[in-house]
Amino acid sequence: MRSYLLIVLLLLLFVLPFGLLGLLAVGEQWRFPAALPPAYSLEAWRSLLAADNDLLLGLGRSLLPAGTVAALATAGGFGLARAITRSRHPARWEAASYLPYALPPVLLAVLIQPFIIRLHLSGSVGGVLVGLLLVALPFATLLLRSFWSGHITEYEQLARTLGCTPRQAWRRVLLPLAWPLLRTTLVQTFLLSWFDFGLTNVLSVGKVRTLTVQVFTYVGEANAQLAAVAALLLVVPPAVLLLLNKSTLLRKP
Amino acid sequence: MSELLTVAHLSKQFGTQPVLRDISFSLSPGEVLAVLGRSGCGKTTLLKILAGLEAPDAGTLLAQGQDLGPVPPNERQMVYLYQEPLLFPHLSVFENVAFGLRIRHVVKAEIDRQVHELLAELDLSAHARKAPDHLSGGQRQRVSFGRALIIRPRLLLLDEPFGNLDAQTRADMQQLFLRVSRQHQITSLFVTHDSREALTVGTRFGYLDQGQLTCFPSVTEFVQDARTAVRQELAFWESIQQTLPASASTS
Repeated sequence: MRSYLLIVLLLLLFVLPFGLLGLLAVGEQWRFPAALPPAYSLEAWRSLLAADNDLLLGLGRSLLPAGTVAALATAGGFGLARAITRSRHPARWEAASYLPYALPPVLLAVLIQPFIIRLHLSGSVGGVLVGLLLVALPFATLLLRSFWSGHITEYEQLARTLGCTPRQAWRRVLLPLAWPLLRTTLVQTFLLSWFDFGLTNVLSVGKVRTLTVQVFTYVGEANAQLAAVAALLLVVPPAVLLLLNKSTLLRKP
Repeated sequence: MSELLTVAHLSKQFGTQPVLRDISFSLSPGEVLAVLGRSGCGKTTLLKILAGLEAPDAGTLLAQGQDLGPVPPNERQMVYLYQEPLLFPHLSVFENVAFGLRIRHVVKAEIDRQVHELLAELDLSAHARKAPDHLSGGQRQRVSFGRALIIRPRLLLLDEPFGNLDAQTRADMQQLFLRVSRQHQITSLFVTHDSREALTVGTRFGYLDQGQLTCFPSVTEFVQDARTAVRQELAFWESIQQTLPASASTS
């Protein structure tokens, strides 16, 4: 009974904010102390269908860097983690991978901004990508380090003696073995970039208006309805990703 | 009989630590060289050099007269079997056994025929569609054998392959190895720390200690060499037998 109550309570805690966002997204003239909006309108949602809608463009501007960063960080992290494992001083490299976390992302952005400006990437998606990769790549490397154990080397060597070329050993043995962890890393690095606000805002100097940046802007403008619509759009891709990755996340150890 | 493998003056050291010292031996087709050695004697390094997974510091390796030095592991036809079966967890038993044929792009019908034949021989037909984690330790080791045998290796390199099995399964696997290696005329280098296992599976015998290999001309000399401790073991069992009552000993 107690566990049942706990589940209901947790579900309520999880669902209530989304219910509130839904009401904010369709409610009009909703002012304190009214418990519910006096009128409802789908105007903000309908406007999403317009070709030049800023929110949809923001969704695209968020998906592009987050997807690219997830793919590049996961692929790069996989290779780097292997290189670290094979290096003479793996512990030193691993410690160095933690360095980007010693600084808050905004501070990191401020520190790298002079370099971004000199590379003529300031205010561009490219600059944001470089900044996000600086955080996501070490994160992916640390996450994927656990994969390259001695056991995996044995699998690789066995595959080689069974007749695999190095490329075949990667494609037929290493990548399938790593796939569950690679999928998790893709999701994690995607979320890392997707929800980033500070670093993106500083490096893009307000020019790359991702969905997360837009949510903050609408909240700042006290535009509750558009902020709620943007926030709901913001949770769609992560929800889809978590759903697709459900089997990996819920797999028994 | 022409030599299948000739190893001459092989040496290897890691840093300043010598691991293999001037190792020389040869193997004829169908022979099983059982090498007895304790942990850290250099046996894994020796097998890895033969498989092409490590490079020697000095010495030559010839397979039927061909210098193996520049030959990569995938072209040596020498399968290295670890203590763990290392079955690929993303593949079924059938696909694990078929692995070597798939990477060689053998036609599907031929793969089906060869794999089913081998699975039947290894008494694994009923498990063909199972995932590796649904098998017992002995069954996994049999699948591992099948995966190696199907590519018809010219040399099997076995690194204490039954070390993790219980006594009964280990004895069964030794018999299976004997049967299969005779039937397929497999040449092997079988490394173990168990003298009984060495005597069971070997047709020739060696002893590796501190990187130096002694190859014995006959089983008698292997048994009589004090380092192999076979005589000590025999003495132990004889002393046990003497302490047993006469009726228990005869039964």
